Amino acid sequence: MWLPRAEPYNSRSEKGLPPAVPPRRTVATRPSAARVARNVPKAKPGRVSRIGRRPLAALEAELRRIRDPVEKLRFIRRSLDRFETLDERLQALPGAPLRWVAYRLTGVEEARPLFSRNPWGALDPPRRTRPPLPRRARRTLNVAAVFVMAAAGLALASYPRAHGPEAKPPAAAAPQPRPTAQAALDPPRGGTPERIWLVDSGAAFELYSNGLRIDTSWAVRGEARRYRVFTKDGGMGTEVLDRPVGIVFHTSESDIWPLEESFNQKLRDSSQDLLRYLRRNQVYHYLIDRFGRVYRVVEEKDKANHAGMSVWGAGGRLYLNLNGATIGISYETRWEGGAALPITRAQLEAGRSLTDYLRHKWTLAPEMCVTHGLASVNPRKHLIGHHLDWARGFPFAAYSLPDQYQVASPAVQLFGFSYDERFLAVLGEPWPGVIAAQAALASEATASGQDIEAVRVERVRTYDRWLAELTKDAETAEKAAARDARAASGG
Amino acid sequence: MAENKDHLWKAPEESADKIEDLVKGGSHPVGIDVGTSKVVVSKRGGKDVACQAQLNAFIPVPYSPVTERTIQQQSDIHYYRDGDEIVIFGSATERFANMFNAEARRPMADGLLNPKEKQAWPVLEAILQSLVPKPRSSNEVLAFSVPAAAPGRESGLTYHEASLRQHFTSLGYKAMAINEGLAVIFAELEQHNFTGIGISCGGGMCNATLAFLSIPSIMVSLPKAGDFIDRSVGEAVGEHAQRVKVIKEEGFELSRAPKDKLEKALHIYYEDLIESLVDTLRKAISRAEKLPKSDRPLPIVLAGGTAKPKGFKELFERTLRSKPFPIEVAEVRVAADPFTATARGAYIAAMFEK
Repeated sequence: MWLPRAEPYNSRSEKGLPPAVPPRRTVATRPSAARVARNVPKAKPGRVSRIGRRPLAALEAELRRIRDPVEKLRFIRRSLDRFETLDERLQALPGAPLRWVAYRLTGVEEARPLFSRNPWGALDPPRRTRPPLPRRARRTLNVAAVFVMAAAGLALASYPRAHGPEAKPPAAAAPQPRPTAQAALDPPRGGTPERIWLVDSGAAFELYSNGLRIDTSWAVRGEARRYRVFTKDGGMGTEVLDRPVGIVFHTSESDIWPLEESFNQKLRDSSQDLLRYLRRNQVYHYLIDRFGRVYRVVEEKDKANHAGMSVWGAGGRLYLNLNGATIGISYETRWEGGAALPITRAQLEAGRSLTDYLRHKWTLAPEMCVTHGLASVNPRKHLIGHHLDWARGFPFAAYSLPDQYQVASPAVQLFGFSYDERFLAVLGEPWPGVIAAQAALASEATASGQDIEAVRVERVRTYDRWLAELTKDAETAEKAAARDARAASGG
Repeated sequence: MAENKDHLWKAPEESADKIEDLVKGGSHPVGIDVGTSKVVVSKRGGKDVACQAQLNAFIPVPYSPVTERTIQQQSDIHYYRDGDEIVIFGSATERFANMFNAEARRPMADGLLNPKEKQAWPVLEAILQSLVPKPRSSNEVLAFSVPAAAPGRESGLTYHEASLRQHFTSLGYKAMAINEGLAVIFAELEQHNFTGIGISCGGGMCNATLAFLSIPSIMVSLPKAGDFIDRSVGEAVGEHAQRVKVIKEEGFELSRAPKDKLEKALHIYYEDLIESLVDTLRKAISRAEKLPKSDRPLPIVLAGGTAKPKGFKELFERTLRSKPFPIEVAEVRVAADPFTATARGAYIAAMFEK
């Protein structure tokens, strides 16, 4: 979108005429009487009108001394708030005669028509909030609270010695489960996503019925999707496919600044820098920043670079390069081993809406929604966990997805991949799906009467062969595309 | 001619000086008048407060690289590409409408998002984007004007208000909606302690608010305003509404006798509009069950582009006095800058909330 800087308002410009005068601000610089009269006292912050027999008249009299419109507005609203509080207290007085006297003395009744729940006249008024207690009252409350807490502590400390039986030594604490992201999340929501449709769209956004808002201002086209599927017995399929069948979740591993107000500039800049890098290199289809904003980086129908060396499968279908077959979603964060959930609440919610939307749009099987750490492999060394982002701690349950950490790793079971020291140094132990895959491999070797190492070597060779076929197929397609392009351009 | 038009765009010096006092370092609140005909933004500009406006209209033209290059060469044209069309929006729209001899389209109608216009929201969003700066810090306050709910149109207003709030919130602002008439009161009736009647006569509708000490007591809207006059006059005299608008804005005066059929029709429909407005206000005040006591007559301020022609105030006064009015009126006056009054009032509300 081409957006030149908006000029200062000039009604002439709306008629398409060249401005007869240079652009001007609408403000005169000449000091007015109001500015010159500096000796006019201003309302002190927090000051309110005194309550007397006629509080509104008194309020108006005091307002005459305030020249600053915002100060005046503040003074009015604070005073009215005080009148309302007083009115509430007077209404609570016992006995009608007493209330009558109180109202006669304060005159606060006349301000009642001004007690409004909608002081801005909007259809959806803001919620009212009471002003904080004065500092002195807060200090008194704090001191009182300290005394109460100290007294309660002393009472509790003395109670067992004076009255209770001798305390038994506490039983050894049961081992607590390690705090993981999974444990810190909501219970799972229902199964399949609701119907999701595009509600609204604009030059730089799309809004969906599940509340998902996608910023499309960074979106670029990528290479066309083109991939093949393998089956355990049939090898590489003949059909060339171009629709996404799953999602791969990533972490950006980019610079992460503390979520504090003083870092606002850094927080903004780092996201923008990251988006620039991702767009330039066509990495991921979506990025979810730390405030839950969803950015489209590469168009969904195109291929993005995010999980090239990877293995995953479901329903007997195997994918040896997930770039073509999946949609990459990255969270702006660092995974940091997955001991704690590395994303913000806003990211979690946004990721959930985005996943629901993508699953609904492309009819993605939940079994094909996986994390990068679970699918990434080193093809040369035949190792799993080449990248480890989300190798632990992804909140599958909160996303209504099956726990992929329990699923037998296809790279281990079908292609004989293993892991190394570096893998263990980060994770401590492999995820359950790796152990399950190793067990399955062992039982298959036993069933066929072969040594497990021999089976593993055989499967690794299968992987190498299939990968070579896939690479050759991709190169052939690339050459054909280049030839077609040359022919089309007449070269 | 330029000197004569100064009052149309220049904010009143006195108001500006008052607002100047509000501008404290480090805070950048924004006030916006989202009107059917124009979007006006009031925000900090250096040490002062400045108003900027865009026509709330657009026109799609067929895309071609040549057209796009031509547009890009002119710095004052806002556009975006939508498939095989270039959507030109904002103040350049009228120029292109004349060039292509086509009617400019409006994202809003009768004060709300135009439900019949498919491009309403994308265009309005683009217009807002061209005017509203990025917030410099979190929780920067932005106040935007909304009309009062006309009977039976509450759901439309809910959608309109929520859409705008969501948009501004997504930009990073703490967004708040303020009634249009109340914003006029904030901008113009500070000396009366924000007590009186503020009336905004825009393109799509007229909004009137009676407030006591800044608290709105009565808020009414009339889905009849500048567009109604243009349309009705156009039908009556067989002219294009757009042409009627141009004539109306180029020196038409209600204070002098009509010189042709078109001016006569303009007089008639202005009278009709003002009669409807005063009648609506009269009924609303009469129906009000409990109004705060006021021992002094109340002022009335008229704002908005439709209140601009000379003689509007006098016609309003005559209509007001033709029948008994339920409250005593001290004076009727036109806002010093009718175009920017609502935006300036919204800016004061934003300053209050910051």
